[in-house]
Amino acid sequence: MSDIVEIEQPQDAGHEMRDEIRQISDKFRARRQLRSRLMVILCGVALGVTAIPLGLLLYQLFRRGLPVILHASFFTQLPATPTLIAPNATGGVSNAIIGSLVLTAYAAVMAIPIGVLVGVYLAESSSKLAAALRVISQTMAGAPSILMGLFAFSFILQDLHVGFSAIAGSFALAVLMLPVIVIASEIAVRGVPNTLREAGLALGAKPHKVSLKIVLPAAVTGIVTGIILAISRAIGETAPVLLVIGGGYINSWKPLDPVSALPLSIYENAKSEWPSLRTEVWGIALVLVVFVFVLSLSARIWASRKQQAR
Amino acid sequence: MDQEFMSKMETKVDAPATLEATATKPERGAAAMQLKDVSVSFHGRTAVRDCTFDITKNRVTSLIGPSGSGKTTLLRALNRLHDLTPGAKVGGTIMLEGTDIYRGDITVTELRTRVGMVFQRPNPFPTMSIYENAISGLRFNGIKKKSILDEAAESSLKSAALWDSVQSRLKVAASNLSGGEQQRLCIARALAMDPEVLLMDEPTSALDPIATLKIEELMTTLKERVTVIIVTHNMQQAARISDDCAFLLMGEDRAGELIEFDTTEKIFNNPIDSRTLDYTLGRFG
Amino acid sequence: MSNLPLLLESELEVRDQGVSEFNSGTPARSWYHYLLILACIIFAAVSVGFVGTILWNSLPTWEHHAGTLLGHTGWQAPNGPFGGLAMIVGTLETSIIALVVAVAIGLGTSISIVFLIPRRFRTVVATLVELLAAVPSIVYGLWGLLVLAPWMLNTVNPWLNSWPFAKEIFGNTGQEFGTSLLLASIVLAVMILPTFVAISREVISVVPQDLIEASLSLGATRWQVIREVVLPTAKVGLFGATFLALARATGETIAVALVAGGVANVQFHLLYPGTSIAAWIATEFGEAGHNEIGALMALGTLLMLINFSLALVSRWLVSRQRKVLAVV
Repeated sequence: MSDIVEIEQPQDAGHEMRDEIRQISDKFRARRQLRSRLMVILCGVALGVTAIPLGLLLYQLFRRGLPVILHASFFTQLPATPTLIAPNATGGVSNAIIGSLVLTAYAAVMAIPIGVLVGVYLAESSSKLAAALRVISQTMAGAPSILMGLFAFSFILQDLHVGFSAIAGSFALAVLMLPVIVIASEIAVRGVPNTLREAGLALGAKPHKVSLKIVLPAAVTGIVTGIILAISRAIGETAPVLLVIGGGYINSWKPLDPVSALPLSIYENAKSEWPSLRTEVWGIALVLVVFVFVLSLSARIWASRKQQAR
Repeated sequence: MDQEFMSKMETKVDAPATLEATATKPERGAAAMQLKDVSVSFHGRTAVRDCTFDITKNRVTSLIGPSGSGKTTLLRALNRLHDLTPGAKVGGTIMLEGTDIYRGDITVTELRTRVGMVFQRPNPFPTMSIYENAISGLRFNGIKKKSILDEAAESSLKSAALWDSVQSRLKVAASNLSGGEQQRLCIARALAMDPEVLLMDEPTSALDPIATLKIEELMTTLKERVTVIIVTHNMQQAARISDDCAFLLMGEDRAGELIEFDTTEKIFNNPIDSRTLDYTLGRFG
Repeated sequence: MSNLPLLLESELEVRDQGVSEFNSGTPARSWYHYLLILACIIFAAVSVGFVGTILWNSLPTWEHHAGTLLGHTGWQAPNGPFGGLAMIVGTLETSIIALVVAVAIGLGTSISIVFLIPRRFRTVVATLVELLAAVPSIVYGLWGLLVLAPWMLNTVNPWLNSWPFAKEIFGNTGQEFGTSLLLASIVLAVMILPTFVAISREVISVVPQDLIEASLSLGATRWQVIREVVLPTAKVGLFGATFLALARATGETIAVALVAGGVANVQFHLLYPGTSIAAWIATEFGEAGHNEIGALMALGTLLMLINFSLALVSRWLVSRQRKVLAVV
């Protein structure tokens, strides 16, 4: 018996409220769990509701737009005006396609170099100028696009006395794209690990060479993602170009010529009295949406490739 | 350490050290929780297995062992936190006062009111005051009566040795407290529900030595109120504060397993398994 | 980062700069440095010019006709008076209704994405929401005009008008078209939904797992964790998301131009046509003479003011949110 060591049995104190607490919580438990289940279902419903517009939209786009774009003439012909005799003679939208490409190309040329450089600066400098530019770029990125149109109208059309033209539209789009590229570039350059920079400097390279030859190449993926996003946005915007490009009916590359654009031609024809034109706009919209989707998805895939490469 | 106890241990030194230590096996009190062949796996990969031991009521049981030995994984199985993790499977049986916590007649929310938890980093709810934090558990469970809430707040904050320091500023945001105080608030928060068991996952590892000491001092009074199961990677802490010890170690298959479970005395002074001895002597971390 | 609205909210914490030409001690200036500065100057000039030009063009209107622009209805081309009240009211109506709808649905959506959907589906759903954001405004407008408007006209409006209190809210219409303030609000809601979801998702998902586990360990149900711990902790950031969505709603031009009906009357009956500031500028500018252009520019400055202040408030809120979590 003396071999058995007894463990001191300590007291068990302070449970006066336990029964009352347990009683009340047992009473409520089922109700709480039911409520939880209901709210969870409600949230799921919200998710479903979010998906509905996209589904409906895509459905209509394909249903109405696919027949339109299946004719090569859609892409190659200039628009024609339907008449009472030939109500279906809508022609094609080659002018809009060329116009969009031209506008985007010129805008990219203007926006990309400046945007990337500013982004690099913002990532590498902690000066007050950098802080100010950062706020500016974020604010501009969210600015209503119609304002870019107003800006281009006032500056290019009025002050510079240039008429409705591709360059005016490109200018507006460049102002639109700039902040996006700046922000994306800054994020990309900041994402380059400091160790890379330090390694370069340790090898004796001058800071600006490190920036140019080591940091920038490492940030390329992020920068390209930003450019793709900026382009994707620019192609779809109507408001900036609406006021200044003139809606030209010819295929032209010249900066001073008026041009059309895909969103603009949708806008012009959506309210048309001719059903054939109203059908045609679905084809244009489909082309636009497919293009934008492809760009967005590429940006996403590109960005995740960068993650994997790490 | 009990003097009487120590002297009894000394007289046992001459007795043959055999595995049939049943002659000296202490009478244990009632079991708060019982583990039998408990294992936890994630997507098929076993993280911890073969855990069989009983947690005695109103004692501090520590889970010790080097990192990776599955102590925290085992602990989190005791309040079914692994339910949150997709792909997690808990095998074996875990009983709380006679009820199987996974398959028995108890909902997971009810289980968690009876088995509370304190985490490694102090985590009071940032948008709530000290008072609100302390009674948050009661509120979640539908208790609204002010008299109960006030009494529970006072009682739990006293048990956590925090009442004196905060009673004049109960409505102040919890984030105003120091790290050690925040952790004691978290202890109070868990205690307010008056659980039978309190799980503590390395509660002092993020705290400074003084705060750590305060919480360790708390343990002796805490165990009068709850059964404490504490995971600690600090051996000395385990030796200081716990009554019983479970030693876990990662096996060759990279799964943790229970090597030995016994009173802290035994584990640190006269363990049965040589691996336990190696660990307590600091031969590996 | 492939998320435009998220670009607006900053991942740009001022990180330890450390190593760069600009922060090194040596004042050595290279051609590269000058090139960067030049780019910054150009960017700054363009931005300042952006604001300044529109402001400059609108000065005459502000000087002489501010009261009319802000307080009167009735827009008479070509020489005025140019009353902008209808546009202002229209902007407020459509944006606020759109916001309420978008936040209600968007919050549920974000919660679903972060907490309820299994991890493997998360990318798909997130991509879905991004695609919603990528659809150009004109396409939403087209869909609204050619698909939703007839549907509203034939199905929804009659149904809404059959409600007992219909006249006060909706107005009994003998409408020819289905375009209305209500339709514009709905289309706007769809358009700003992704913005709200993107930011609220981000804000909700960074609530520490710790807090979630702690509340579960106290016996809280899933919904209680969300409603009483996660949402309050993320509250400030959620307001930030709301303000940004509102900013976007006020700036939407083309979709509203196509589906709101384009009528410049102060209108509280939702099934009647109306307009917004941005939509009005877009529709009127083409034919506008010099005086009208000035007035439209003035509307533009108003739009800029509204949009910029909402965006700034949003940004401030989101950065405040970060501080809430830093204390934990």
